[in-house]
Amino acid sequence: MANKVRVRICVGTSCFVMGAAQIQSLEFNAPSDIADYIEIIEERCMNLCKEVKTKYNSGPFVWVNDELVEEATYEKVVNKIREEIKKSC
Amino acid sequence: MSDSLFIEIGSAQQQKNGEDCFGDTVYSKKIPEERRIISILSDGLGSGVKANILSSMTTRMAMKFVESNMELMHSSEVMMDALPVCQIRKISYATFSVVDTQLDGKTRVFEMDNPPFIFIRDNKAVNVRYREIYSEKWKERTINISQMTNQEEDRIILMSDGVTQAGLGNRQYPLGWQRQGCLDFILEKIRKNPMISANDLAHAIVQEALNKEVAKKAGDDISCTVLYFRKPRKLLVLTGPPFDEKRDAEFAELVSAYDGKTAICGGTTANIIERELCLKCEIDKTSFDMTIPMCSTMEGIDLVTEGILTLTDVYRMLKEGIDNNKNNGAVRLTKLLLDSDRIDFVVGTKINIAHQDPNLPMELEIRRNIVKKIFRILQDKYLKEISVKYI
Repeated sequence: MANKVRVRICVGTSCFVMGAAQIQSLEFNAPSDIADYIEIIEERCMNLCKEVKTKYNSGPFVWVNDELVEEATYEKVVNKIREEIKKSC
Repeated sequence: MSDSLFIEIGSAQQQKNGEDCFGDTVYSKKIPEERRIISILSDGLGSGVKANILSSMTTRMAMKFVESNMELMHSSEVMMDALPVCQIRKISYATFSVVDTQLDGKTRVFEMDNPPFIFIRDNKAVNVRYREIYSEKWKERTINISQMTNQEEDRIILMSDGVTQAGLGNRQYPLGWQRQGCLDFILEKIRKNPMISANDLAHAIVQEALNKEVAKKAGDDISCTVLYFRKPRKLLVLTGPPFDEKRDAEFAELVSAYDGKTAICGGTTANIIERELCLKCEIDKTSFDMTIPMCSTMEGIDLVTEGILTLTDVYRMLKEGIDNNKNNGAVRLTKLLLDSDRIDFVVGTKINIAHQDPNLPMELEIRRNIVKKIFRILQDKYLKEISVKYI
């Protein structure tokens, strides 16, 4: 696989307290089947929380390649990553 | 306050092995209106709770007397009279050393029965001449009074006899570490690190005294206070975006114009500075932690952290002590705060709407409140000079 899946995690305050901290752990102990295919990037507040309710559901917000995962959890993000890996295979 | 001289005070204590509380008391107070600092170290007779009561009574009384410029001999007599009498030894007793110093450098030291203070200038120990005064009422008590004018890079070190007698009975130190041994250690420390902070030096002295003890168990209460006269180390802490977006540029200007260290607390705040000053800001993964969001690095800025969670944890650590085994943003910021003498806070008052969600934990305090708590504790407990500006 040429390109790794880019996982951009918002670690702004509100995303962080709502669970981004757990998602961050992907960096160090991701499941073995995806560990080699991802690139984790932490971002400071991406300001998506400003438009909660008008545009987005609530955080934590995680971008997996070009798709936004809202109300992200560790499982949700891992599943999304698996989908992305499958797509590019 | 003064730009010329700042006095950093650091203390360290170790209680006698087996005791729950300190028999010595150290207490320092800043009186900003008089530009004056008073620092006291007292050693109570014996150890444990009884000694603790004797020494804390002594420090509090001495502080009141010195603060109100009472006549010295009279106040010492009042103190002796007021202390409870030890049931075993039939005397009321606690030693004391008092440093009363003004920010223009005028300093007086009063000592009774503690090991003589150490005065260091230009990395050498200087003997200060003293005058002895006697009490009519308590014949065996003498008080030594010394006076000096301090200048930059001077240090005054107070210690209890636990330091000078450390290792007593140990084969290597039959008479204990002695004042000279301690002095040699201090000079060596300062030679290696001429800028060593008062806090670090005090802790190093107490640790070294403990190392001298048989089986590293303190045979007596060990206490040390260091006063370090120097140019103030300045720190600017920016947190929160300005209420009015039009003031962003002015806000960023504060950073580029500041002549000291700078710290930025808050993602949005960092974004503003990044945009206004055209700096590049990157996440620093070495600060990974499960409870505190990671720091970032920005050229020319000493520390960039997340905002409210970090500040809340900084406040907790200022109250309870630093988590030494961690290296997250909050620990770094706490250390930076403690290493600075004058701290200028600039608090942006814009409310982050995303934080007002009732689903979020209660700990997400309003920025102004947490900053207020932090600056109070820095002022009262750590004697820092603080200024706060809301923008």
